[in-house]
Amino acid sequence: MTFSSFENVVIICYSIYSYNKNNPLFSSIFIANTSIQIIQIYIKMKHRYLLSLLLWLSITSVLHAQTPAVKGTVHTENGTPLSGVSIRVLGGKATLSSNLGNFTIAASPGDTLSFTYIGYEATQAVVSDQSQPLDITLHQAATELSEVVVTALGISKEKKSLGYAVQELKSEQLNTTQTPNLVNNLSGKIAGVRVTNSQGDMGSSRIVIRGETSIAGNNQPLFVLDGVPIDNSQLGAGGSRDYSNALADLNSEDIESMSVLKGPNAAALYGSRAAHGVIIIKTKLGKKRKGLGIYFNSNNTFSSLLSLPEYQNVFGQGGNGEFSYVDGNGGGLNDNVDESWGPRMEGQLIPQFGSNGEAVPFVPHPDNVKSFFRTGFTTSNSISVADAGDKYSYRLGFNDGHQTGVIPNSKLNRRNISFNSQFKITDKLNLTAMANYLISDAPNLPGVGGKRASSTMLQFTWFGRQVDMQSLKDSYFSTGSPDNWNNAYYPNPYFGAYENTVELRRDRLIGAIGLTYDIAPGLTAHFQSGTDYYNDRRKLKIAYGTSGTPFGSYEEVGYTINENNTEGTLNFDKHLNSDFSLNILAGGNIRSKTYEENDQKAPRLAIGGVYTLDNSRDPLISTNVYSRLKVYSLYGSAQLGYKNYAFLNVTARNDWSSTLPANNLSYFYPSVNGTVVFTDLFHLKSNVLSYGKIRGGWAEVGADTDPYQLYDTYGFTLFGSNPLLTTSGIKMNKKIKSETTTSTELGLDLGFFNSRATLDISLYNTNSFNQILKVDITPTSGYTQELLNAGKINNKGLEVALGVTPIKQPDFNWNFSVNFALNKSEVKYLDDAGELENYTLGSDGTAQVVAAVGKTYGTIIGTAYQRDAKGNILISSNGLPETDPTLQDLGHFTPDWNGGFYNNLKYKNWGLSFLIDASIGGSIYSGSNSTGQYTGVLASTLPGRGAEFGGLNYYYPGNDKKNLPVAASGSGPNGEKVYDDGIIAPGVTASGDANQQIIPASLYYKTISSVDEQYVYDASYVKFRELRLSYQLPGAWLSRMGIQGASVALVGRNLFFIYKKAPNIDPETAFSTGNAQGLEDLTLPTSRSYGINLSVQF
Amino acid sequence: MKYSIYKYLLRPGTLLVSSLLILGVSSCKKELVRINKNPNAVEDPTADYLLSGAEKSAADAYWGATANFGSSQLITQQWALIQYTDPDRYIFDGSSFSDFWTTLYTSSLTNIKVMMQLGEEAENNNYVGVGHVLRAWNFQLLTDAFGNIPYKQSGNVEQSSLAAYDSQQEIYEGLLSELDTALLQLDPGGAAIEGDLIYGGDISNWRRFAHSLQLRIALRIADAAPALAKSTVQKVLDSKELISANDQAAQFIYDKSPNWNPVANNFSTRNDYRISKTVVDRLYALDDPRLPIYANLPENKNIKKYVGVPNGLTTSDANSLGLANTSKPGSYFSADNAPAVIQAYSEVLFLRAEAAARGFSAENAAALYQQAITASFNQYGITDEAVIAAYLNQPSVKYNASNYKKSIGDQKWIALFGEGLEAFAEWRRLDYPDLEPAVAGKYGDKMPVRFIYPSTEQTLNRKAYRAAVAAQGTDDLFTKLWFDKN
Repeated sequence: MTFSSFENVVIICYSIYSYNKNNPLFSSIFIANTSIQIIQIYIKMKHRYLLSLLLWLSITSVLHAQTPAVKGTVHTENGTPLSGVSIRVLGGKATLSSNLGNFTIAASPGDTLSFTYIGYEATQAVVSDQSQPLDITLHQAATELSEVVVTALGISKEKKSLGYAVQELKSEQLNTTQTPNLVNNLSGKIAGVRVTNSQGDMGSSRIVIRGETSIAGNNQPLFVLDGVPIDNSQLGAGGSRDYSNALADLNSEDIESMSVLKGPNAAALYGSRAAHGVIIIKTKLGKKRKGLGIYFNSNNTFSSLLSLPEYQNVFGQGGNGEFSYVDGNGGGLNDNVDESWGPRMEGQLIPQFGSNGEAVPFVPHPDNVKSFFRTGFTTSNSISVADAGDKYSYRLGFNDGHQTGVIPNSKLNRRNISFNSQFKITDKLNLTAMANYLISDAPNLPGVGGKRASSTMLQFTWFGRQVDMQSLKDSYFSTGSPDNWNNAYYPNPYFGAYENTVELRRDRLIGAIGLTYDIAPGLTAHFQSGTDYYNDRRKLKIAYGTSGTPFGSYEEVGYTINENNTEGTLNFDKHLNSDFSLNILAGGNIRSKTYEENDQKAPRLAIGGVYTLDNSRDPLISTNVYSRLKVYSLYGSAQLGYKNYAFLNVTARNDWSSTLPANNLSYFYPSVNGTVVFTDLFHLKSNVLSYGKIRGGWAEVGADTDPYQLYDTYGFTLFGSNPLLTTSGIKMNKKIKSETTTSTELGLDLGFFNSRATLDISLYNTNSFNQILKVDITPTSGYTQELLNAGKINNKGLEVALGVTPIKQPDFNWNFSVNFALNKSEVKYLDDAGELENYTLGSDGTAQVVAAVGKTYGTIIGTAYQRDAKGNILISSNGLPETDPTLQDLGHFTPDWNGGFYNNLKYKNWGLSFLIDASIGGSIYSGSNSTGQYTGVLASTLPGRGAEFGGLNYYYPGNDKKNLPVAASGSGPNGEKVYDDGIIAPGVTASGDANQQIIPASLYYKTISSVDEQYVYDASYVKFRELRLSYQLPGAWLSRMGIQGASVALVGRNLFFIYKKAPNIDPETAFSTGNAQGLEDLTLPTSRSYGINLSVQF
Repeated sequence: MKYSIYKYLLRPGTLLVSSLLILGVSSCKKELVRINKNPNAVEDPTADYLLSGAEKSAADAYWGATANFGSSQLITQQWALIQYTDPDRYIFDGSSFSDFWTTLYTSSLTNIKVMMQLGEEAENNNYVGVGHVLRAWNFQLLTDAFGNIPYKQSGNVEQSSLAAYDSQQEIYEGLLSELDTALLQLDPGGAAIEGDLIYGGDISNWRRFAHSLQLRIALRIADAAPALAKSTVQKVLDSKELISANDQAAQFIYDKSPNWNPVANNFSTRNDYRISKTVVDRLYALDDPRLPIYANLPENKNIKKYVGVPNGLTTSDANSLGLANTSKPGSYFSADNAPAVIQAYSEVLFLRAEAAARGFSAENAAALYQQAITASFNQYGITDEAVIAAYLNQPSVKYNASNYKKSIGDQKWIALFGEGLEAFAEWRRLDYPDLEPAVAGKYGDKMPVRFIYPSTEQTLNRKAYRAAVAAQGTDDLFTKLWFDKN
């Protein structure tokens, strides 16, 4: 059976009328604007074998439902309904409970019913009175292997029935320490998940599962919150602020679990966006309360810098060893030079910034950069109230968080209200409603990047090592003026931090309602409609008098993002006989997304200090973008189980996307996987091997593209009163087809010593092809980019997750987990003709990160030393290393492997957990190291800079600097001035002899600063990522005060590096969450945090 | 318990609903296609706005830092750098000139191409003619600077995203004939064109510019292909349609911010450029009245004379001259609405003088030379005849028939102040003025004679790039181009 012709097998046709045009935030809170009109199943009588058989089975079994029947419900101790519980009349028929935990089974009084469910202790009940519904509570079993996990579409399944790897993090493990960005909480905890913290303490974080599978597009997974796909874009990346990715808004305290579906095999049902994996987030729901059901948590942490470059403290500002300050703008001697190639700092008297022209001691300020940063503080306080009864359960949470960052005047506030509830309207009808209102409100975000007006690290990487930060602080706070140690390029750093600000306010609503209806025993209909809507407004201010932007500027940027998803599914569960069980699901989804951006800028203010768009001396620069897409989908899945130890799963999905051309907008993709618990099959269970499962599968997913990729466009600008149209430079493609990713996965799950030790191993091979790429083409073609439908990338990998509980005593419990993931990618080709070699993902100067054919994704290329056949650096006759005119392969950003080591110890009331996180291999290009050598601020420029640093003596014959320096001993032959900062660059001359030409150190460092090879470092690191020491207060104490439980914990995060190789920077850093990783330039230092967490339950 | 799918299927009306659904699928498709209509940008442009866009893009590339004041004006020692002096020391690489290359090939030439197509569809030949003239100018700028470049196969993405390089000889020949084609199309009595920011739609001036550009190209190749140069000169002079007054000059006049002159834009936030010591010294030596226009007095009010900065100092050496103690290029050039001069009247006169000197025409070389200098004075508002006469009568200014290359080279270089690319080409061709290499040049005494191709060509157009380098010579600053004999 060929899957490509699946459309001929079954066409499940439906029409759901859905619209939500001018998304009114409030009217859509519980999304009453969508309704199912018709759900209809239509079978075409051709190649119908498998699915029509399954449908037939389901129909007949419904028809043959028997009477008399006993009804009842099965739930957990908390009252949460359990679906899929196997209910069997001893010696008779069997059935499964519905999504609402309901069941109906033919049984007579006196019959014994057995209830079995993986992960729970088996229970029996005797039927006494048929008219009396049974209320069955199942208790969680002690073993960990019989786990139930959340899978695609939020469906809970026994882990043993899955043919792919799923890893789940429960709230406790997720929240060892809190972070300002939820994504960070996943770091090091799940095999195959790679998290990269962009920069600073308020910025974005990137997450990639199982390597990059898209050459050009988004590689981050899809996040689904209680069934609602939510946006995790980083809007405005690459600007003067590292805006956090949208997911950072979520409050980790609200989260019950995060389930990671690692790629197409697990996530095929999610369709287009599943190629990069899916993370399913379940928020907490009310539980049957003890006490008042009120829970309070307070997390308070301080933060400080984790890494700062190592600076030299011997030479001060200036050039040629000379410096004297007048106005910092060329009025004095080299006082516009923002480099540290000046005089030695030996206490000699030189006029300096803040000395009012007076000559004062010229001395180093070793901590001048460090003292600019302050200790940050974050407080996050959550309170929730929750309860559950027979007909309802709810949880209402509120969180209030404030963060003051390590950079002066950086501040971020977050508040959110979350509500999650379930109501049993009738025995058959269940309603769920969820709403999360999130506010992110930052009075000012830390300045990043290379903008002179607002960058934090720019002027510290170009710096005078003698500068006293206190004098800059005093100057700004006493006068409010931008006056600075250098006035040619930068405002006073405090002026920059306090005046050139970016304000952000994001209001977000994520909400959903769902209805579940038990149509018949085993047959459930489910409907859900959800929205994710947010409004993100930013105000970017640059003050009058800022060097480089003398008139200041004001810009307002607004984004409105909305995605609505409405879906309906039919789920059918049935024990066919005592051996076979069947589950079938069919459904449809409508997804619509709108993106709106509105940007207005007054490029030069008319009057300083007034930030309005009217206050402009130039015409406003406006841009606005509105884009919209819609995708209709139909999907289905079936699971056939045999004796509860062998399972076969198939899925299929068809999407119709508005982003593709009319004749290509429909695309279909299937998946199949299977698993066998071989310890059950072959009765292998022993004291050592307690559980063993082998699994495997194949999956395909299709993907569409962004809106408006079909036709060339021309952009408008206005010249006086004359409009200009200019080509966008991008050759669009009206013939594009959907992208395809296929993935094969094999795995082995083992449990030892009664599951005290578990081992999960996965192997996968993923191919992504027909990639929709905007490739750079030679501009001589008339365009800078062309949209191609080509390209193939392969990812292969191995994941190992080991869990061990070495000690399990009533008073002392120790478990640890180790995860390890290895991924190897190869870009197979970029275009069909094989002409393209590189696809540029990002660049910094001449260093580029590319997808290069035949190489690992994220190859770093750049300038390199010219070398001879033996690999020696060639030195030209002037003593300087030569640069190879051809850009060379310098490494790749993707690590060889990454992993984590998580430990959890409990002794009586004490708990200790910690996480060590490692990323080994891969490279990073550091622009900060390059610039810092050019400017002479780094300690790495000391070798050779003076006699005490190994500098050689030389002179210029005739004191003429046009002559090449000559080595000197003592004095020049004609009384020439002798310098002691000579370096002989390592390497050979054209003739192959060792280089002998002496050159000044400054010239050497300035020259090599343009050789990218010099600044590509091993990006490996091992971080002590998380630490939590907690104490559970004794219950006897508390109960008198009406407190159910309380705990206090000391927490720490990113505490220190156990290992790293890249000097002066944190190798876990990048510009943004995009694919341009492996490049660092002027990024903010990362921070560590430590503090106390308190939680009380009433 | 008889609710079932089966019953659903048997329900009356199911067939009707099913068929409605099949109809629904096709209307669904229509809806999806409609959603994907781009509301943000124009998919159907118009010729007039494209013309404006092309002219502005080309002017920005031509007059901006990349190709002009950040490179060719430094090499020809019109301006100098006082901070970040790397370009002044000839430290250029494969990314140095890519903006110039990219803007001309994409924003300018693609705009022109689409404009010409629309002009043809509308049967408005003047758009087509203007398109050819602009194309010729753009390609002339590119080949002057780089040598071999893609010309015939360029802008052909529908066929291939790759483009072979043509030899410089073929390009100049092609441009001359393309300008002939333009002249066949340009008709002052024909349909009007709109959106022309250079000549305001005056087709007669476009014809003058087309001929003047032919004259420029003819002399560019005078040493390499004298026969073609000569026949072109004769044809052009016969036409009597040349730029023959300052108000007929081809120039793009800028507006205020954000459409301000690229120099104004740069100077509004940066303080890197000074006038070159070479120019200041020459103008002082000649007592040239253009000096106060070309240079400002230093900001340090105690300094009462113009102080140029030597080209190619190290950053520290340049810095130590003092930012306030040296002269910036004249405010005339950094005004918001300063023009980007594409072809001045004085240049046409210098070209005619040289054509006469070479014997390509029977005109009076000495007289034209003097008229050229006068036109340059007039261009900057210096009209006092006594001043002009005094200047022209200096022995050091007087036309020297025995070394016309020196007379014309020296004076044309002064007249081309600001037009770095043209000055660069003419300095290479005429070998005058005699310039000293950068003080601390990266390559010792060598001076650049071409631009380096953007390094992206090595990756994105590999085969063609390699063939071009094989044909022309190493892709560095020192490979002489075809037109540059001696």
